[in-house]
Amino acid sequence: MHIDLKREIKESGPGKTGLIILLLMITVALAAPILAPYDPYQQSTASLLSPSWSHWLGTNHVGQDIWSRLVFGARTSLLVGFGVGILATLLGTVFGVSAALVGGLYEKVVMRIVDAFIVIPMIIVIILISAYIRPGILTLILLLSLLSWQGGARIMRAQALSLKERGHVAAAKSFGANRFYLAWRHIVPDLGPILLVEFIYGVRRAVFMEAGLAFLGISDPTVVSWGMMMRDALSFSYLNVWQWWLVPTGVALSLIIIGLTFIGHAAEPVIEPRLRGVGIA
Amino acid sequence: MFSKRSVITYVIAFILILLLNFLLPRMMPGDPLTAIYGDEALVAMTPELEAELVERFALDHPLWQQLGAYFVALFQGELGYSYYYNAPVLSVILGRLPWTLLLVGTSLLLSTILGIVLGIESGWRRGSRTDRTLLAGLMSLNGFPDFFLGMLLLIAFGVILGVFPLAGALTPYSGLSGLALLLDVLRHLFLPVAALTLAHLGDSYLLTRNTMITVLKEPYMLTAKAKGLSQRLLKYRHAGRNSMLPVVTRTGIWMGRVVTGTLFVELVFAYPGVGYLTYEALLARDYPIIQGVFLMVAISVLVVNFLIDLSYPKLDPRVSYAY
Repeated sequence: MHIDLKREIKESGPGKTGLIILLLMITVALAAPILAPYDPYQQSTASLLSPSWSHWLGTNHVGQDIWSRLVFGARTSLLVGFGVGILATLLGTVFGVSAALVGGLYEKVVMRIVDAFIVIPMIIVIILISAYIRPGILTLILLLSLLSWQGGARIMRAQALSLKERGHVAAAKSFGANRFYLAWRHIVPDLGPILLVEFIYGVRRAVFMEAGLAFLGISDPTVVSWGMMMRDALSFSYLNVWQWWLVPTGVALSLIIIGLTFIGHAAEPVIEPRLRGVGIA
Repeated sequence: MFSKRSVITYVIAFILILLLNFLLPRMMPGDPLTAIYGDEALVAMTPELEAELVERFALDHPLWQQLGAYFVALFQGELGYSYYYNAPVLSVILGRLPWTLLLVGTSLLLSTILGIVLGIESGWRRGSRTDRTLLAGLMSLNGFPDFFLGMLLLIAFGVILGVFPLAGALTPYSGLSGLALLLDVLRHLFLPVAALTLAHLGDSYLLTRNTMITVLKEPYMLTAKAKGLSQRLLKYRHAGRNSMLPVVTRTGIWMGRVVTGTLFVELVFAYPGVGYLTYEALLARDYPIIQGVFLMVAISVLVVNFLIDLSYPKLDPRVSYAY
């Protein structure tokens, strides 16, 4: 692993753009209570107002301030995104690395399950489960993580298998290091850049799924979500409210996904070094 | 040769799908009858009907006997009965399926072909202005969720310009036939297909471009060039054809994505396919339909993936050595 991930991202134009977009969104999410002039859940009789000084993006059909909801929606989106990103990468690493190091029957069983999960279309599984349990945010994070660590595990296992044969790992082993120590001290640190790429794509997938499920109406209705806002806005598409209701929400959602795509693309040479220097800039 | 490992993978995936479909409604707290047959069934419920429903899935027996009853029903092609539509699940789904197939088929074909062509051109000119514009443009497009793209198209071309219909797959009660009917179908198809194609174009484009760039560095490209072959031959026959291989393996995964994308896009355009059916079923808590759609979609994606795995060694003979 002789590629510096930080440099790789910083030196690529889109990588930088993506990073800026993401940081901006994180700032908005963290500063939501400051940025939002109203309680995003507070309903009022002033429904479907046009943008004005008191309501920057107008109000929705139940009189909630759209700007405040947009700002708080970033929290939901990023919380689910990062939650799933971390958990799925963790699961992928644990199973991938342990499969590579333990080997034998354990490896076979884990990889068979991984392969099987990869060919099953995930969204439809989540829709079925959500139809029954209407998950809240935490359940959703757990559910998405449990269903999306498998791709990462496959990559981690392949990497760990090749790392296992390296000199320094063999040396540590000859000094009597046990498997756990080997994994923790010698394999996982070297997986770093790949972990990050997996993490980024995990976050992207989760942000998209959260919005999609809310759009279908199978998320927690008490939590403000961009997907839900777009779904509400869609039913008023014959009015001109889409300009300040639908479009800003959709753009915010797309921006996060595009930002993550750009970062992921800039970091991809880590997995495929032959792509170096042929990005956008 | 086709590997035994793949077969086992698909068998496991198949069993997982069936188990999930079996266990989920039966694990739910409350009355399993509602979870299996949906809210609407309770309205129609009479003691005789209840007895019959319990009997059919052996609900008063231990779980393993229920599993047996479930498999028996399934292999008789019995997907259950929707009390919401008052029709067998299978016939409700089959009635909607053609629209979804039309939508998915057209978009998958268009996005894959366009993606491959653009990917080859872009990779060939890597680093150039065209390449950078295409890359940035398509990567951004890839970031737009398909339902948002759909809504933008709907508002732009349906609401503001009014050139395309806002909803549905046909003009209701128009009594059209022949060519006029075909045109009507195409007019309704245009926006949903455009949304899905644009949203998924980036996948095949990015993959083709990446492969193209690595392929262009292969020694055989130099040989081909040294032979004095024309640019077009080099680009399409030598580099392009090899760049398409990974695209083929991914088509199965993309099909899965386009199918789920259809779910959302159909909802935006109220297009009467399986996706819209799922949405209606979710609203009505019509569980038999949701389970039926789940089984059909999951299994058809599995089958397509399996067929692609089967055909891949034929397309790329190198793969057969890998097993």
